[in-house]
Amino acid sequence: SGGGGGGGGGAGKMADKEKKKKESILDLSKYIDKTIRVKFQGGREASGVLKGFDPLLNLVLDGTIEYMRDPDDQFKLTEDTRQLGLVVCRGTSVVLICPQDGMEAIPNPFIQQQDG
Amino acid sequence: MAASAVSNPSQLLPLELVDKCIGSRIHIVMKSDKEIVGTLLGFDDFVSIFLWKFKAITPEGRRITKLDQILLNGNNITMLVPGGEGPEV
Repeated sequence: SGGGGGGGGGAGKMADKEKKKKESILDLSKYIDKTIRVKFQGGREASGVLKGFDPLLNLVLDGTIEYMRDPDDQFKLTEDTRQLGLVVCRGTSVVLICPQDGMEAIPNPFIQQQDG
Repeated sequence: MAASAVSNPSQLLPLELVDKCIGSRIHIVMKSDKEIVGTLLGFDDFVSIFLWKFKAITPEGRRITKLDQILLNGNNITMLVPGGEGPEV
């Protein structure tokens, strides 16, 4: 068994072949100056006006509102919010970006009623 | 039409904003419920933060720890608020 050894030879000549451009799969420039909603690892959610971003998905949000979670149920949002103003969001922590308008919460379709 | 890797130059770059905050108060929100308020001394490429005279706040337990200097690992940082004072305690 000597398979798997042949893959390393072709990787050296990257220069002439594809020049790897750092292209994002999501063009955030269309959201500049628009209000977006952002969800983070760890369950935090915030929304604000997108003022800037970089290819690593770090964001600058203005007029940011953070939506607070229910202390008993970490996944349920309460009516509570707090104002944060101008913030930088770490791209490493971002899991979802969507426009603020056009998205709404629905009842959890996965919950099954448990008796006893 | 190739999508340009360089974003619109008139927008605000996130790390530029953090850089402008060096020397001022900053409020850092972690992925967990911990938050930190202090004076920003500097940061690196991974946004590990070097802070001075800061307070660590845990809103659940309302414990406030005051320390002089810290190097905060950027792994768990979610948001940075320049000039922020942190949650009201």
